[in-house]
Amino acid sequence: MKGLSPLFVAAIAGFVAIALPFVGSDYAISFSIQLLIFLVLAYSWNWIGGYAGYSHFGQVGFFGIGAYVGSLLNFHYGIPWYLAAIAAAVAGAVVALPLGGAMLRLKGPFFAIGMFGLARVLEAFALGFDSITGGGTGIYLKPVSDLRPLYYVVAAVAFLMLLLTWKLDNSRLGLKLLAIREDESAAESLGIPTTRLKIGTFVASAIAPAAMGSIYAVYLGFIDPPTAFAPNMELTTIAMVLLGGMGTVLGPLVGSLLLSVVNEVLWANYPQVYLACVGVIVLLAVLFMPRGIVNLGMKSGWLKIGRPLFRSLAARAEQAQS
Amino acid sequence: MSETILAVENVSKRFAGRIALDSVSIDIARGAITGMIGPNGSGKSTLFNIIAGTLRPDEGRVLVNGRNITTATAAEICGLGIARTFQISRLFAEMTVLENLVAVARGRDDRAAIALALELLDFLEIRDIADRWGAELSYGQRKLVEIARALMLQPKIMLLDEPFAGINPRLQNRIVEHLRALCAKGITVFFIDHEMRIVLKECDLVYVLAEGRLIARGDTQTVRNDEKVLQAYF
Amino acid sequence: MPVAELLIGGILLGGVYALMACGLNLIFGVMRVINFAHGDILAIAALSTVSIAVGLKLPFWVAVLVVPIGSAALGALIHLFILRRIEGAPLIMSLLATYALSTILVNVAILIWGGGYSGLPGVLSGSLRIFGINVSISRLVSFACAIGVSLAVWWLLEYTRFGRAVRSVSAAPELASISGIAVERVRLATFALGTAMAGFAGVLVAPAFAIDPQLGSRFIIKAFAVIIVGGMGSYPGAILAALLLGVIEVVGSYFAGAVIGSAFLFLLMLAVLLVRPRGLLGAGMRV
Repeated sequence: MKGLSPLFVAAIAGFVAIALPFVGSDYAISFSIQLLIFLVLAYSWNWIGGYAGYSHFGQVGFFGIGAYVGSLLNFHYGIPWYLAAIAAAVAGAVVALPLGGAMLRLKGPFFAIGMFGLARVLEAFALGFDSITGGGTGIYLKPVSDLRPLYYVVAAVAFLMLLLTWKLDNSRLGLKLLAIREDESAAESLGIPTTRLKIGTFVASAIAPAAMGSIYAVYLGFIDPPTAFAPNMELTTIAMVLLGGMGTVLGPLVGSLLLSVVNEVLWANYPQVYLACVGVIVLLAVLFMPRGIVNLGMKSGWLKIGRPLFRSLAARAEQAQS
Repeated sequence: MSETILAVENVSKRFAGRIALDSVSIDIARGAITGMIGPNGSGKSTLFNIIAGTLRPDEGRVLVNGRNITTATAAEICGLGIARTFQISRLFAEMTVLENLVAVARGRDDRAAIALALELLDFLEIRDIADRWGAELSYGQRKLVEIARALMLQPKIMLLDEPFAGINPRLQNRIVEHLRALCAKGITVFFIDHEMRIVLKECDLVYVLAEGRLIARGDTQTVRNDEKVLQAYF
Repeated sequence: MPVAELLIGGILLGGVYALMACGLNLIFGVMRVINFAHGDILAIAALSTVSIAVGLKLPFWVAVLVVPIGSAALGALIHLFILRRIEGAPLIMSLLATYALSTILVNVAILIWGGGYSGLPGVLSGSLRIFGINVSISRLVSFACAIGVSLAVWWLLEYTRFGRAVRSVSAAPELASISGIAVERVRLATFALGTAMAGFAGVLVAPAFAIDPQLGSRFIIKAFAVIIVGGMGSYPGAILAALLLGVIEVVGSYFAGAVIGSAFLFLLMLAVLLVRPRGLLGAGMRV
């Protein structure tokens, strides 16, 4: 059994996550909330971009929808943030279903650009329909006194995403998505229901970002169109998954930790330098490491290769036969 | 005379004015090995794609067990028990061989899927490459994995697109043995190729296509001595 | 509704879109690369123009000469160091690479020029009265130059040897290479030409609009909308679609405000993608 097991790494991360609010400062908790939100976004994007192979630049659209739905419910009707987040998640799914049906018919780069355009349309609507959304002024929410409950909810969601991704990776559903990514029409000719699976993955990848959007608004105490639909957020999310490893369980975790380090060093003081660096990182990753760190690790052996469930089931079947 | 399981009736297809298939009719008998040969450009692949559902004919119909599948999608045709391989292998590159097979397995039972995959790998004598990455296989190995993957669908009809192209005679013979074994189990095999040697030796029935038209049909002796066939090829 | 004014305004705006879209189309046709950074090259060119005219106090026509050449040089560097290495990779990779490049350019621009707005109020100011309508001179000049250059490049593509080489590489790179065309050099030259067009568009934009480093992001999605509506790879399609979309944007803004007006463009682009992906004049994507 050579190499690190993903379970081991995840266990360590989990331990740190639970311990943090007890030992960490307010600043650490605040920073961690941001990190965890990005983690959730990265894991969501990983499903549609990494596994199903439908990369796109519009996930921040769902984030923004969630942010506004949650904020408006909170602002106008006083609905508590955790319920608003659930409503936001539902809103994300409801929008994603018909949208996916329409957009997923487009081929790769058209789908990516189309989703980018959609996010810009949503931003324009948020800006333009200012009687509903507060337009450029934005919406100011009652600030939350203690960030800890936010932290726990976000951490729980992040953990759930990791768990679901692990289950996906070790299931036949995961293999079907990878088949779509590798060769969609071959997959279709071999009986895989590609349309159904694509739309399902797309909807699934919209739920968590919508919820995170609404929580982010509560965290900031404020939301406006550039914040809700920030293209920089999109780039950072994609960079995390690309750098870490698309279509893997640990990729988004590795990527978001690494980029948050860069973030921590640069963002507060030199936001432009930070963003330019993220751009450089994505560029370098595309040029030299398109499959990401985790896949590099698998190929050089310090991480176990492939998806362990099938190998172990196969081994057990072999033993049963002999 | 065994019954017809797959029938193609007067199928025609044009591509930008050029006639690819001109009113071609063939019938495939259940449990037999049927082959189709023809020089390059004769329309074999087009006919294949029409049967497999990736192309639609301009005229004519395709029937399976009497049921009209002319307008069915590739996925629906899979559901009817027809599986196909591809001429240029289209394996899923970033997956192991075992995963390639399990990915297309039907039904909900994971264990059964893996057991079937292992069984097929044994059947084709490629069990030792089960853990190899799809992208790393040799040409011959790819062909075998393609066949195994199609067999995962437990089809009643296997459509093979040039299974013998570009591989050495020893491997060709191995594949022929596997195909015969499939027939013994009642699976119908229909393949296209331009390796005349194998087709004329192993098939129960041979069709010859040239320039979009059917020019000969019969058992291997008949076809071997057919004037028109000799003309088309030489 | 002031129909004539809106129409004229839209067409003038469309001129700049046409120049941008033609450059994008050229790049896409030859290299199968969707250049997300195209708008930011325009923005940097516009900002450089302001620096040259205001900062260095040189005459405007110096910028007209220098900036497009500088843009071409930038384009050549981008091609040599980045795009050449990802030839043959799936389209999404070049999209990611140019998206990242766009972010780099925008933020470097903010670092150099600051995030605020600037402009060239003194250059080409004032307006003419044509057929009873007030037409801003700078927009008229930018329209004329943009269309002029677009048509000039079209002439280049149709009637010169270089143009034929470009079209061969667009249509069938393997055949082009066999028939002796230096495919790599054609690609380099084409990308440099495309970015030069974006640079020239930037120079034209500087006197006519308020510019800031984020200008590129606003323009790029409109340029995408133009080439998708016009049909990717179709040069005349891009010009027609640009004028059409210019008018739509101006009319939409008149009725629903500037923001919703530009949203109309994106919606039209989405509609075209879904209903007729070939676009108005496109011959279909060879992906």
